[in-house]
Amino acid sequence: MDLLPSEDQRDLIAAATDFLESRMPIEGIRARDGQPSAVDRDAWLEGAELGLLTLGLPEEYGGSGRLLDDEALLFATLAEHLATGPFLTSSLAARVAAQCGDLDLVGRISDGSVLVGLAELRGDGSIGPEGIKGTFDLIDCAGVSHVLLVTELGAAIVDLDEFPDVETLDSSDPGIRLATSTVTAATVRHWLPSGTDPIWLRATVLSAAGLAGLANAVTRLATEHAKLRVQFGRPIGVHQAIKHACADMAVASDAAMSQTLFAAVCVQSGRQDALFHALAAKTVASRAAIANAGATIQVHGGMGYTYEHNAHLYLKRAHVISHLFGEPTQVLADLLEQGAPQ
Amino acid sequence: MDLDFTAEQVEFREQVLTWLTEHKPRESRPRDDAGIREYDLAWQRTQWEGGWAGIAWPTEYGGGGLTLLQQLIWYEEYAAQGLPGIDACFVGLNHAGPTVMLRGNEEQKSFHLPRILKGDVIWCQGFSEPEAGSDLASLRTKAVIDGDHLVVNGQKIWTSSANCADFQELLVRTDNTGSKHDGITWVIADMHTPGIDIRPIKTMEGGAEFCEVFYDDVRIPLSNVVGEINQGWSVAMSTLSFERGTAFTANQVRLAKVVEDLIDFSRDHVGPDGRRPAIADDEIARRLARSRASVASLRAMTYVGICHTMKSDTPGPRGSMLKLHYADLCKEIAALAMDIVGADGLRNSSRWDPMGWVGNYFYSFSQSIGGGTSEIQRNIIGERVLGLPR
Repeated sequence: MDLLPSEDQRDLIAAATDFLESRMPIEGIRARDGQPSAVDRDAWLEGAELGLLTLGLPEEYGGSGRLLDDEALLFATLAEHLATGPFLTSSLAARVAAQCGDLDLVGRISDGSVLVGLAELRGDGSIGPEGIKGTFDLIDCAGVSHVLLVTELGAAIVDLDEFPDVETLDSSDPGIRLATSTVTAATVRHWLPSGTDPIWLRATVLSAAGLAGLANAVTRLATEHAKLRVQFGRPIGVHQAIKHACADMAVASDAAMSQTLFAAVCVQSGRQDALFHALAAKTVASRAAIANAGATIQVHGGMGYTYEHNAHLYLKRAHVISHLFGEPTQVLADLLEQGAPQ
Repeated sequence: MDLDFTAEQVEFREQVLTWLTEHKPRESRPRDDAGIREYDLAWQRTQWEGGWAGIAWPTEYGGGGLTLLQQLIWYEEYAAQGLPGIDACFVGLNHAGPTVMLRGNEEQKSFHLPRILKGDVIWCQGFSEPEAGSDLASLRTKAVIDGDHLVVNGQKIWTSSANCADFQELLVRTDNTGSKHDGITWVIADMHTPGIDIRPIKTMEGGAEFCEVFYDDVRIPLSNVVGEINQGWSVAMSTLSFERGTAFTANQVRLAKVVEDLIDFSRDHVGPDGRRPAIADDEIARRLARSRASVASLRAMTYVGICHTMKSDTPGPRGSMLKLHYADLCKEIAALAMDIVGADGLRNSSRWDPMGWVGNYFYSFSQSIGGGTSEIQRNIIGERVLGLPR
């Protein structure tokens, strides 16, 4: 049994961190605010070259063939640095395309020339091999050519052109782009049933990883501030009101990351209770990310409430991810339906 | 990363399961002091005869010398059987025993350690005082040297199992002149010594599992001092981490069982609308699901903690994170149970009763106080995990 990152995994995290800090700094979110796309395309291409989109893609398709725990660590790191762009949907789409035999699309996603956004069904409608129908939120679909849709039954890749009358909306998270479209009939380019590869399960674990990464990042942010900010002649971190808030954040983010890695290992080893643990991870990590981001704003005082500070960016990203691949209440309902874990 | 157990570990789990199934106590734990003493000691003796006493103790002291993962397996299976905690034997096995092992002299080791393992004796802890709770080092129960004895006067409080204990790990003040951490001595008190007066304290849950202990010119031989005179603080701290390692696994497995029991209970029990089962209520259903998720995360944290301990050999301040998370969850789940029970919560129950949700709820308040309050755990996490200033 081992749930600690190996040396190899620590190297992976360090390489991703280096790239994100130098090529995708958080400041870029504010710099591109108001522009059609949130993505810096040059940086995206470099990230693709570094293999950030193909870490879990099997080697036979040109990926690194790494296991889900590696991917969980990568997506936690991406979220910790508020990386912009549809990393998760593009890498999942490469997996879908590969198993549907579209090697051309796999190649183009992998080299960064094709980006795949996400469509989330809001309200009534349907997603299946025969087509899709309903009103969809389009997340990070500005300037992309393909869209991924994920359900418990399977995952679909649809051309963006299939979505009529795309209306751009003001996104609550300045680091993503949001639009909406109502589809009466659209063709599905590729459909991968969950029985062949449970994309939804992977998406649940990897979004939990992102949330755990956010929870972790804001814990660090608040703690560093509490060490440096001086009031009443002493760093505010000496006061229990602040110290205890930071301690609670540390526990929540540790619980979120531990459960996410536990779930990742359950999924990759095909354990019976893998779904239970993935749903538990999403639940724990959503709450940790949102609560910790809120606490971080409080620890920063007035500065935490400004647009200029990063704290709100983490909070907003946490809310976005918590609504992807299953509403929080649906995740809870699914979790309660599971048998007891082994 | 992996969650795999080796073939040997799987086989070990089988052995544990077989042994526990055959030897676990059949009758439920009595409620009276004499009954509890007899029951806990008999179960300890059974474990010793089966070769399972002191699984975390080194073999040179007669323990099982099990690896961390074997201990984890033992506690998982132990709790899964619904067996009670080690309760009255806890201090001897997980605190006083290990302290004697690390800091005691040969006579102390050879006299006390086998008795603890064999289930001959019960130990209690004499640390807290009315004026020294979280600020333990300010303790003032006084001991003066008189010939070859210490003469002890003062008072201890919150002493679990004092009314059925044979020995006590006792912290006394032997010097007042230096800093408060200096001048403390760790000594073994025979609880049958004249001058010791024990008064049980009834808890809000109704039981009397802890006591006040008064010392009036109690004479303790100097040969009972463990470590040096005035070095008691470091002696006491040397084993604080012992109880935060794998032993915690049992609590966490037990709490997971509580959640599953509560889910079953809420399928049969009428909910807040007076008609449908409680689980049909959206709010209750969501809280149950969140409890499941949180308890799963506690287990994952425990596993991660054990992985850390395997690499670094000491559990470190991560133990405080587990204890804090566990205490919060105990209280949250117990409060949820009260909401599910609804007006039936007017009927009192004991935590030892099957589905004793009311007693369990009252008991849950102790979880964030005993063994170091949650506030102290947050200080430890803030300072030693996050590096915040003192």
